[in-house]
Amino acid sequence: MSTTETGNSSTTESAVSGLDYEETQLTLAASGASRSELERKRGFSEGVDLSLETKDFLSGSSDEAPISGAGEPSAAKAQVVGWPPVRSFRRNVLKSCTYVKVAVDGTPYLRKVDLEAHAGYQQLLTALEEMFSCFTARNYPNERLVDPVNGTEYVPTYEDKDGDWMLIGDVPWKVRSSSNFTGNIKGFGSHVEAINKEELEGAISTIHGKHHSTENNLDVCRFMQTASLMKSSEAVDLAPRTPTGCITAR
Amino acid sequence: MTYFPEEVVEHIFDFLGSHRDRNAVSTVCKAWYHVERFSRRNVFVGNCYAIRPERVMARFPGMKSLSVKGKPHFADYNLVPYDWGGFALPWINAAVRRCPGLEDLRLKRMVVTDDDLDLLARSFPNFRSLVLVSCEGFSTDGLAAIATYCRGLRELDLQENEVEDHGRQWLSCFHESCTSLVSLNFACLKGEVNAGVLERLVARCPNLRSLKLNRAVSVESLNEIVARAPYLVDLGTGSFAVDHHTDAYQRLMNSFSKCKSLSSLSGFWEASPHCLDAVYPVCINLTVLNMSYAPAIQADDLIKLISLCFKLQKLWVLDCIGDKGLAVVASTCKELQELRVFPSDIYGAGATSVTEEGLVAISSGCPKLNSLLYFCYQMTNAALITVAKNCPHFTRFRLCILDPWKPDPVTNQPLDEGFGAIVRSCKNLRRLSLSGLLTDQVFLYIGLYAKCLEMLSIAFAGDSDKGMVYILKGCKNLRKLEIRDCPFGDIALLNDVAKYETMRSLWMSSCDVTLGGCKALAAKMPRLNVEIINESEGSDKLEENISDLHKAEKMYVYRTVAGPRNDAPDFVWTL
Repeated sequence: MSTTETGNSSTTESAVSGLDYEETQLTLAASGASRSELERKRGFSEGVDLSLETKDFLSGSSDEAPISGAGEPSAAKAQVVGWPPVRSFRRNVLKSCTYVKVAVDGTPYLRKVDLEAHAGYQQLLTALEEMFSCFTARNYPNERLVDPVNGTEYVPTYEDKDGDWMLIGDVPWKVRSSSNFTGNIKGFGSHVEAINKEELEGAISTIHGKHHSTENNLDVCRFMQTASLMKSSEAVDLAPRTPTGCITAR
Repeated sequence: MTYFPEEVVEHIFDFLGSHRDRNAVSTVCKAWYHVERFSRRNVFVGNCYAIRPERVMARFPGMKSLSVKGKPHFADYNLVPYDWGGFALPWINAAVRRCPGLEDLRLKRMVVTDDDLDLLARSFPNFRSLVLVSCEGFSTDGLAAIATYCRGLRELDLQENEVEDHGRQWLSCFHESCTSLVSLNFACLKGEVNAGVLERLVARCPNLRSLKLNRAVSVESLNEIVARAPYLVDLGTGSFAVDHHTDAYQRLMNSFSKCKSLSSLSGFWEASPHCLDAVYPVCINLTVLNMSYAPAIQADDLIKLISLCFKLQKLWVLDCIGDKGLAVVASTCKELQELRVFPSDIYGAGATSVTEEGLVAISSGCPKLNSLLYFCYQMTNAALITVAKNCPHFTRFRLCILDPWKPDPVTNQPLDEGFGAIVRSCKNLRRLSLSGLLTDQVFLYIGLYAKCLEMLSIAFAGDSDKGMVYILKGCKNLRKLEIRDCPFGDIALLNDVAKYETMRSLWMSSCDVTLGGCKALAAKMPRLNVEIINESEGSDKLEENISDLHKAEKMYVYRTVAGPRNDAPDFVWTL
């Protein structure tokens, strides 16, 4: 009988203990990558080399409060062939979906955002503002969402495929039309390097591609799995952004 | 009745709707066989390899409408290799030679090429309707041939096919004089179509009642179309990506409010929250709603929409509707007969989905429910027992708990009792799919109670051969049995070999049947094709030295009067 790992992926704090410091460092590369690639996770002005190794697909994190600073990857879910019993056609429709769940730190809100529908960070922030309409955005260089009640500032962050929490704005924004792009992990890296930094508006790369048969390409489509509006006090531990070239919409 | 003239007998047979009834009367006596075969117009072939096409057409020379199915059902879930078979060509060829009056063709899970479609299009002057479901092997070039040569085409219905996109000209191939379309469904196509051509086609087909657009059709185009076809009954909206602040949105809402006949809606491929308001005017008349391809629609929007749909009979949604949403369905949709809840997050552990609560709510609110497909992360015996009590009319009950072997989370018990309650209560159950942690006990119940059961799908269940034996012994009307990842072996397989001739097919994959067991079955039953699909590398031929103890990874057994098929690829061994 074929076996399958079916445990749910809950990235709870208890799983973090037992990992040494090196493993919990934020890295863009897979866990086994060298330290020298850490430097590359800074802003695009140095040219971001996202030479991500293909990795077992990370299941979505739970929708509870995000983990700040924990770099430990979510449990990879072994995929059983033909399970769940969903027709290929339907699977492909869901795969090409560029929707991302967005939650506000400390609240039960959970909404979905279609990254494809926004041309850049400004628009994304506007959309987020509309969704979480109790917040307003302050218009100054380090734009953040503010809770008018208690003045707490919120910054948009996201969890990348390694399970690291990143500030939105670190990686170039580029939306590809699905008819042109045949994405895979290597392609992702080279696209980013080819981008002229003057063209860039913001820092998230989004990729959505046509259906591919391997799970690895699926990683790319789900690069931005979950976003969260994190309290800026908690976001302090995250990798700092370089201000040059980044639009103020974070 | 043998004293009646044939015309009278034939007239009486006209009242027999189903294939089964006609099959039954044709076995009564030679006279009736004779009358029946000449008067049959609709022919259904459930397994394209069970009989040769020529023999079908020889028996039914008056055939006008043909429906054929190819690959086994588990091909839908990628368990059957691409070039396994199920080719449409032999059927089209035979019809060309013997049934030139063919009007309707329906193919499911078959391989259809552009050449096949071209031959079809040119060969049948009265051709009216082509329905392709889960087929592959063709491109938009084949569709262009159909559009070009089938003058008088009424229906082109493409459901969930894999179609290669060779450009957007196929729609232009419908001649200006083609005004006969009643139903056009190209929702599964990936490529663009020329908006102007589409709008003109719709405008000149006054009988168009069903139109399903693909994702590439914009909202602007949809607006033009709806404005020109206010008599549509069934609409697939295409993209539906629209900003609800714009004029385009207002126009769309106006157009929808004029559609008094619209009763079925689907599509919404790129719909975003808030833009569903445009369809509120038609909700009151909706009997069918399919939102299962709209992942961005949140539960709140679904709830607002569904709470207006009092007449809904069929609902397909994603599990982001949540238990709360299902409670709204239960309180609003009292006419509901069919519900399908699909998983929206197959690749992760979705937190927002449905549980047993949603299902219980539906069962208590919707007394007419008879067909269910439900994907969830957990289910309890108590819930299933309640559902069984509330809904004794189920004919189709398919439950998929996404984690294999998952027990009742409250009691940690297998779900035997829950499913047992379902089969005991639902005396008309024809189709059942099981999931979760299950022992042989559930199969004992099914064998005991599910007397009408025709199709059973089992995965990751059972303890021993006894389970399968209970099924084969008890389910008298079983036609299709498909099993994956269960501990059933040769003893179960060979327990009652004659049984398989009363069934259409048996599929077993990742079970414990061995090559030797399959060979024994094949030897005993010459009118069964016992096929092994062997996907391991380097073994293209049935090697003499592969031990009979070797497990048969994938086995497909079906009754046939056509003998072993001659189009099997190398990796399929017919024993």
